Amino acid sequence: MKFAFRKWSSFTVILLLSAFGAVAQNDPNPDSPTPWLLSDGDATRVLAVNSRGWNGGVPNSGRLTFKPSTSTSITIFVSNLELLPGEGSNSVRVYLTQRSGKTFELQTDRLIQATKSVYAIQLRLFDPAGYRGQPVADGDSLIYLTWRGLASNQLRIGLGSTGGGIRIPSVPALAASQVEPPTEYVGYFHSGDRVRFLEQAAFGPSTALDLRLRRIGLRTWLAEQFDMPYPTFAYPDRAQMPTATTNCTATTNPNCFREHYTMMPLQKWFFTEAMYGNAQLRHRIAWALGQIWVTSGVTIQQSSHAIAYHKVLSRNAFGNYRELMYDVTLNPAMGFYLDMARSTRTNPNENYPREILQLFSIGLYMLNPDGTVQLDNNGDPIPTYSQENINELSKVFTGWTFCNFTCPNSAQGIVNYKDPMILIPTNHDTTAKTLLNYPGAQNTVIPACTNCTTDEATKAYAEASLNQTLDNIFKHPNVGPFIGKLLIQHLVTSDPSPAYVGRVAAVFNNNGAGTRGDLKAVVRAILLDPEARGNLKTAPRYGKLREPVQLISNLTRIFPAKDYNGEGPSDGGLASHLVPLGQDPFNSPTVFNYFSPDYVVAGTTVLAPEFEILNTGNAVKRTNLLHTLIFEGLTANATDSFRGTSLDYSEFVPAAESDPTGNQLLDLLNTRMMHGAMAQAHKEKILAAVLAVPATNPIQRVKTAAYLVAASSQYQIQR
Amino acid sequence: MAAMASQAEHLGLLNTLAQKTREPEGGSPPSDYRALVCIFFFGGNDGNNTVIPNHNDANVSPYAAYSAARAPQGLALAQNTLLPIAVPRIGGLSYGLHPSFGTITGGINPGLHPLWAQGKMAAVTNVGTLLRPLTRIDYQTNPTWRPRQLFSHSDQTNQHQNARADVVMLSGWGGRISDRMTISANPDRLVPTVNSLNGARLFTVGETTQPLSLGPAPAPLSSILALTGYNGTAVSNARLAALEGQLDVEQTHDIVRASNEIHREAIRISRSLNDGAEVTVAFPNTGIGNQLKQVARMIKARSALHLTRQIFFCSLDGFDTHTGQLVGQASLLGQFSQASRAFFDEMTAQGIADKVTQFTMTDFNRTFNPGGSGANVGSDHAWGNHQLVIGGSVLGGDFYGINTSNGTPFPTLVNNGPDDADSSNARGRWIPTTSVEQYAGTMAKWFGLEPADISYVFPNSDNFSVMDLGFMAP
Repeated sequence: MKFAFRKWSSFTVILLLSAFGAVAQNDPNPDSPTPWLLSDGDATRVLAVNSRGWNGGVPNSGRLTFKPSTSTSITIFVSNLELLPGEGSNSVRVYLTQRSGKTFELQTDRLIQATKSVYAIQLRLFDPAGYRGQPVADGDSLIYLTWRGLASNQLRIGLGSTGGGIRIPSVPALAASQVEPPTEYVGYFHSGDRVRFLEQAAFGPSTALDLRLRRIGLRTWLAEQFDMPYPTFAYPDRAQMPTATTNCTATTNPNCFREHYTMMPLQKWFFTEAMYGNAQLRHRIAWALGQIWVTSGVTIQQSSHAIAYHKVLSRNAFGNYRELMYDVTLNPAMGFYLDMARSTRTNPNENYPREILQLFSIGLYMLNPDGTVQLDNNGDPIPTYSQENINELSKVFTGWTFCNFTCPNSAQGIVNYKDPMILIPTNHDTTAKTLLNYPGAQNTVIPACTNCTTDEATKAYAEASLNQTLDNIFKHPNVGPFIGKLLIQHLVTSDPSPAYVGRVAAVFNNNGAGTRGDLKAVVRAILLDPEARGNLKTAPRYGKLREPVQLISNLTRIFPAKDYNGEGPSDGGLASHLVPLGQDPFNSPTVFNYFSPDYVVAGTTVLAPEFEILNTGNAVKRTNLLHTLIFEGLTANATDSFRGTSLDYSEFVPAAESDPTGNQLLDLLNTRMMHGAMAQAHKEKILAAVLAVPATNPIQRVKTAAYLVAASSQYQIQR
Repeated sequence: MAAMASQAEHLGLLNTLAQKTREPEGGSPPSDYRALVCIFFFGGNDGNNTVIPNHNDANVSPYAAYSAARAPQGLALAQNTLLPIAVPRIGGLSYGLHPSFGTITGGINPGLHPLWAQGKMAAVTNVGTLLRPLTRIDYQTNPTWRPRQLFSHSDQTNQHQNARADVVMLSGWGGRISDRMTISANPDRLVPTVNSLNGARLFTVGETTQPLSLGPAPAPLSSILALTGYNGTAVSNARLAALEGQLDVEQTHDIVRASNEIHREAIRISRSLNDGAEVTVAFPNTGIGNQLKQVARMIKARSALHLTRQIFFCSLDGFDTHTGQLVGQASLLGQFSQASRAFFDEMTAQGIADKVTQFTMTDFNRTFNPGGSGANVGSDHAWGNHQLVIGGSVLGGDFYGINTSNGTPFPTLVNNGPDDADSSNARGRWIPTTSVEQYAGTMAKWFGLEPADISYVFPNSDNFSVMDLGFMAP
């Protein structure tokens, strides 16, 4: 009956959508099936055989113990996978947890269909990364696999021997979440996935966006976002100032100084757009790109300079990566930050050529199409470039500098950061250069200029050289997996499966219409991938720690932000509150961003970049900021926030008012903040604190519960 | 039992164990006290303008050689501004420190320079990342003998911090010293052995050691990990119980658990951190000054915290001087010198100058050949560099390290010369003669690391014949 009802509902949606003029695109059920590891005998021990003796079928029982080593290949069996074409062994990841508490990711070699419904996975009892050593013959260990962010059941496997008493952890029971009224079961009715999607594609879920998604679905929403005018709130229009702060110093005219010589206007605008803007997706992608192509107000002197740079990122967020590369390369803020603006024929600077390779395009090591590192015959990674390459590329990038005299924004006494850099012909190196060589590389030599006798000829030569070099970098096979993985890490999950990276990289390489580097297609592929989608993800390493910006912006959208007095909108003066948390927006400490994409949590093998700015020192500061924001609001101040910021709980107070047991409130918060993933045990802890607040003070109950959820690691890990 | 305790630390169970059990096998903790304080210059400090020839001996790169290479573009420091230091190891010849190591405008103390003559500061020269001793021929003919990703900030920073140049290693040498020494040296510790003033940097993380991350002064110790918003009422206590209780929920999710452990550790330690007696020496109000001031407070509180060994990590950012180096480096070295001197004086005031050793590390050296010219002059990424070691147990007033081909531990300052890794477009990137392992190992030995643990802390130590460079008193 329910099934029939849903079918009827989607029919209604299509009718409604036609009325709204939007083109309905079907969104499939986001939930992949949960993989199931087959067990031997007592249902607690994995069914496993030595790969050497495996006959291709599913055995009735398997060997009991195995010796951990690089050469031990075993075969285990999994059911309940529904694989896409081409989805192979790099889509499953097998983990082993031992009595020591260490968890290893085992090397998976092959995924073979054994029967109609069972796949065989061949793997080695060996961790190829080996960051915390290797599995040892320690008796029973736990083995499980993950696929598309879903964990299988955990089973015992005997290493060396059986026994040792390791316990199979029970899966935490989930608390109830708010049930949507049946009449609302229209359109994209997967409420958990909607919230998750808005955490990934926007700066957090809001009621309005959630309703919009429910009405039009993910695909149509994406199409709408790709064309949404941006920004909703105009970029701050700050004049370019002289380098010397003469009449605008921090002491004599602090307001002038903050507006022009600090990042404050950009920061306030950024948060305003994140909290209230309509083009959420473009804003989110621009923020992610800005953490890859890093410039920083630590060095960039003026807000006008950084705003001009942000415009380049946001303009190209749904464009082609090759154009982004060109536009950033000639942007004066980047030119200043990584010194290209001062690189000349006689003194070529290596900074930009090195970082455009290491950080912005191909990375340090040759990658496979799924982003895994290629190894040579000795098992060593293969570098993508050498110092010689840097020397050669440095010559290409010589001679470009600020357009201080002839461009639209040139003016007496200022350095022009608003127009692209121009070439000073006499400063350009016109000798021959050798570009990167890699499989499939073409046009790897720039010949010396033979006709650079006029400025025009040299300019044309330099421009052509720059384009040839950017093409050479852009066409490197690493770019798709390298950039694809970085964007996945910023939007969805810190440690995506190679298969996920591979699917996104394939779209980078070809958007389906033969175009390479189409960011719109890449963003769509990242957000609609089955590893991104689903109402509930269960893999123990799925998700990402919310960086401070996302932690706060999500709360300002769930509990709509107002100014401190609760009267009008917040002015976005939030940045100074995030400094103690390790993320001063637009003031990254270095070109390596606030955190490294390769950061592994101390003492573990968990890849989780944002943990580089979570430590005992600022963990408490996170909790304390949440306390102030949620219970008291952030007061106005005379420097960066004239209005302050507070949260509006009016959507949540009725649940607290109508149900003195607190259950309705917790169910609602579970839905809105945690997409229904709150554990029952977690709910009970919070409920005890809520019930200590008199029922006559419902708003205090809401604040107490919201604070505890927001301060919990269960919430702070976006998953 | 030892294995169980370290596992407990890994699992964040230190709270109960550390305070209730004493290691029966570890014996009693050492009667003396020692601390290592790492000061990391992020970005790659230009060592070529930190320690400079100040002599005319043409056999060992005189000032003229330095000046000839750097003056045309404006990167050479004038000889009459150098702060002279005598170097017995090189026949008593004079070298010079960057002028920022002396009295500076706005400074509050005489800086580090006077400590050279007092024998409290040494330079370890031409140190860098190495897999094994490496000649110029070796470098040119055996690419596999080179450290991974030379000249890359992130990799070279990591290789200094983990003392491992051949493979990726996710623990640092400070953390690994703690792995091996914490149980015996600090059995009743209330806080971890390793403290970082700059987050959980690689240097501070061991295989089982997790550092305590502290914020800098002026925030008092009692406040830096304190939760706000709790006042002891029943409502407040119930909220605090929930805040702590939810740290134990859903330990099956690896990322959630990792975050929980950090929060739990912070709350636990906050209950042990009280304001002890304040330091008595004035510290500069700079980033590094306030970091070292906080370190000095933690050292002063060592008895209350039940610590006989401590390792600290501090840092100073901004050394990536591709351009604007003259002004930038002078400012940074001045901040370092003032803060480090204040810290040395504070240790003297606390009566433990000989128990505490400060040392520098940085990503890499910078090219001898400048980049750019005039006000914009700077330098690019290079390799072997000079490091400073400061403290009462330092056998100061001299250079240390393995000799280069010129028979001294100071490299030959010639582009495309015998110590240059470059051969075409040679810009002067010195091939180190002393490895990070040898530099670190000397201090680890002084700190009390047992010989049997050297290969655990420094896995490539067997590749280097000398693991004690002799700059620390026994």
